[in-house]
Amino acid sequence: MRVSRFIIPVLVVVALLVGYSLRLAFTQPTTNISYARTGDTIENAQQATFIVEGVKCKGTASFFSSLYEDTPGVIAIETFASEHKAVFTYDPDVIGIEQIKSIMEAPIDFDDGTSEQVFRCLAVE
Amino acid sequence: MTVTNRHIRYTLLLVIIGLLVYLALGYGTRSFEAYCPFGGAESLWGLITQGEFTCALGPLNLSIMLALLGLALLSKKSFCGWACPIGLLGELGGKLGGRLWRKRPKVEKRTNGYLKLLRYVILVVVLYFTYHTGELILRGFDPFYLIFSGFGHGSLGWISIAVLGGIVVAALVVPMAFCRYLCPLGAVFDPFSRLGLLKVSRDDSSCTACGMCTQACPHEIGVDEIEVVRHRDCTNCLECVDVCPEDDVLSIRARL
Repeated sequence: MRVSRFIIPVLVVVALLVGYSLRLAFTQPTTNISYARTGDTIENAQQATFIVEGVKCKGTASFFSSLYEDTPGVIAIETFASEHKAVFTYDPDVIGIEQIKSIMEAPIDFDDGTSEQVFRCLAVE
Repeated sequence: MTVTNRHIRYTLLLVIIGLLVYLALGYGTRSFEAYCPFGGAESLWGLITQGEFTCALGPLNLSIMLALLGLALLSKKSFCGWACPIGLLGELGGKLGGRLWRKRPKVEKRTNGYLKLLRYVILVVVLYFTYHTGELILRGFDPFYLIFSGFGHGSLGWISIAVLGGIVVAALVVPMAFCRYLCPLGAVFDPFSRLGLLKVSRDDSSCTACGMCTQACPHEIGVDEIEVVRHRDCTNCLECVDVCPEDDVLSIRARL
């Protein structure tokens, strides 16, 4: 059966769009860490999504999450490296979005004595 | 002016390259790497065994790869000819090489066949080491990554420069050299491409056997010698259809 020559580009574009749409079916967090402590009020917990420049692979995602290991009010962090995204579950009575943002953007001291800003918040959703 | 298949194809490729440059410059919420279908193959084993994606790869790599395997079942390696920037690089290199060489060296058929096995070797090696190290070991040798990252993190300095330079020079000598001999994504597509439903077909009764279709084919497939192009390397780029001087001799047909 003969078909129009335009079928090829149409199929290519449709395949790319289908591929883009299908991504949601395979979404897996790069890291998923819970820091829930005694005293955190899980019932009041809120979620905020940060787009973070610097979260780009499993290593940087793990390092990013570790910045909040001792931060009261941060209950859990899920990161999605391919989307440079971090989803925070936090207790709004203890910590706010601005404080979470200031922690990630603070310069980090390295073993060689240098200090550098590693992560930058691009957006909060 | 007649709109040829090449006009449409190059327009689509330019749009895709424009989007990749946009992402590579840091705009958008994803890295350009997230759109590489080969990342889907690199991630698959980690996803099955550990439930997580490899390194900087994610769901988009996998979903695009699966969609493109579906595309290959319908339309052979159309992705390679119509959407892959490295395919375009190889094609343009081949055209430029055609102008530079008085008589381009011809790779003997048997040698060509052996060299094509290289892409399977590369596929196996890359997947093995990626699965075992959890790192994207291909980055330093991957023309797509090296070009769009500007030799970014993971590139291997002069080795990467030599690799990319070698790929460009090879394209001047053998058209589509990287796609033919080295591309591991092409190896992933191969079995699906062989089954591809839509194929270029030649009407033998009205063909004048001028051979222009074979000359135009970037993969040097002997289109004028066959009635249905089932070749695994055919990207349905339709260059052969564009150059055919006769009406309706070459067309796209759905054939098993």
